[in-house]
Amino acid sequence: MTEPLLRVEDLRTYFDTPAGTARAVDGVSFSIAPGETLALVGESGCGKSMTALSILQLVPEPAGYIAGGHVYFQGVDLLDYTWEEMRRVRGADIGMIFQEPMTSLNPVFTIGWQLMEAMAVHGKGRGPDTRRRAVELLTRVGLPEPERLLRQYPHELSGGMRQRVMIAMALANNPKLLIADEPTTALDVTVQKQILELIRELQQDFGMAVLLITHDLGIVAEVSDTVAVMYAGQIVEYATTRDLFRAPAHPYTRALFASRPSRDQRGRDLITIEGIVPQATAWPPACRFAPRCPERWPACENVAPVYQKLASPGEDQTGPAERGVRCHLYHPELARTRPEQPATLEVHP
Amino acid sequence: MTATPLISVRNLVKEFPVRRGLFTKRQVKVAVDGVSFDIQQGTTFALVGESGSGKTTVGLMVLDLLPPTRGEVLYAGEPIHARKGRERLALRRQMQVVFQDPYASLNARMTVAEALTEGMMIHRIGASARERRERAAELLRQVNLPPEALDRYPHEFSGGQRQRIAIARALSVEPGFIVLDEPTSALDVSVQSQVLNLLRQLQQDLGLTYLFITHNLDVVGYMADEVAVMERGRIVERGTVDEIFDNPQQEYTRRLLAAVPSVEAALR
Repeated sequence: MTEPLLRVEDLRTYFDTPAGTARAVDGVSFSIAPGETLALVGESGCGKSMTALSILQLVPEPAGYIAGGHVYFQGVDLLDYTWEEMRRVRGADIGMIFQEPMTSLNPVFTIGWQLMEAMAVHGKGRGPDTRRRAVELLTRVGLPEPERLLRQYPHELSGGMRQRVMIAMALANNPKLLIADEPTTALDVTVQKQILELIRELQQDFGMAVLLITHDLGIVAEVSDTVAVMYAGQIVEYATTRDLFRAPAHPYTRALFASRPSRDQRGRDLITIEGIVPQATAWPPACRFAPRCPERWPACENVAPVYQKLASPGEDQTGPAERGVRCHLYHPELARTRPEQPATLEVHP
Repeated sequence: MTATPLISVRNLVKEFPVRRGLFTKRQVKVAVDGVSFDIQQGTTFALVGESGSGKTTVGLMVLDLLPPTRGEVLYAGEPIHARKGRERLALRRQMQVVFQDPYASLNARMTVAEALTEGMMIHRIGASARERRERAAELLRQVNLPPEALDRYPHEFSGGQRQRIAIARALSVEPGFIVLDEPTSALDVSVQSQVLNLLRQLQQDLGLTYLFITHNLDVVGYMADEVAVMERGRIVERGTVDEIFDNPQQEYTRRLLAAVPSVEAALR
């Protein structure tokens, strides 16, 4: 088995708030192999963006802090790095794209200045080579007239073009890992499709791994190899994309699938998840999904479920990912304390 | 088709003046360019397209919130833009709107009760303050919120709850027609399904007619009876959901449908 490029172990990121400690990321573990795309999926407030920021050590301080865990990147724990050392990793070995292309670019500098600055910071400074490479990058991400673009300001570009510039910047130093947080959420579907195809192409060309954060199950299906489903600061299910979509195991994952509107559901009520995501300062004590779970029984409100491995249902078990779930339904003893047979949720993927 | 459509949009055009410089010639941008469609009573008509296609501008003109450059909108056979004063007010009551962002569309300084009774006062619904308050509580029940919500402020609610308050506010004046402009785009999927179920339920119970403006084709497939696809101010294709999804005639529609990420991809 190859050493993973990124291995996150029991990561905990907490915030001190007037309402108490918010455990935004609370014991998250996963790994990404070189060239792999892992999707981190969940609804707003589940901690997926904060997981990404923690890996990059960009947690807003001083309210937020990393309370524990390890982030091994190429075998070295990034959490031991100083701010200066981390600066050299960000934008070089780890590229990043965030959701808002308008706020991520500086409005008072030209595209060319910002792109070349990104390269200069991590390279040997500026030179004729930098400019040539900048033009090359803009061409690579499918932007027309790259020479002219270098002289333009962010406000002169459309949302899709800005996001392409962001990708060009993220890729400027051939990163080994790209962290993309909702990279296409603000874009139209046709542009989204182009951007996702672009990321996939670049991944094939450079063997880059991708941590993709999204709430869109369609995007997950289209681009990721493996999926980690997050709920209330924890990973509740982990599987290859194929396994997850064939047979989602956790009641939350199943409900997410079933609540998706589609033409097949016409005339029927959609499955809903009752209630809302709880506050990070007050996660439910045992199973965090229990208050909203259609399958809950007393054990769910008394005993915190542990993350356990599951046998993969897929016939081909070639993938590196193991399958796991955090739910008593799959616990050999606790599942037997359930009053009746599981009334399995109907799923229409 | 014998029945008069509830909404009839005829050759609607909207031009916006654009000024590039002080001395350049005045130019116009055509945001909506000859749009026509009918919506039958009790049905859902979806207007889909990408940002800048003009779908929201059409919605605003249908609501009489923006005057068209040319063309007209008929409500139950009567032109809406010709009306003045009291007649116009009466029409406003018939046509309501729910916007995308439930954080921006509710006044932060108004309690839920105030938001729900404001429209009733303008349109003289309910004989007394007490009666209006009772009606407001009933509206909350219809959108599955507890009556205690009446005296709270918008910030105390989640996005999905706020959107339900916005729907209750639209319903407060007993409209026949509601424009839904991306009503679930800002919501998480689990909450989106609650709001879509609610909208369908209300349509059945109250016989409402919807103009559903969205870029989300999954939602269109679930909710709409008829669809019009807009591109650069024009309707490029129109039909029932099945016609458009199964047999798109236009290249643009095909491209739009093909761009929607599909969960099927994972099963291949």
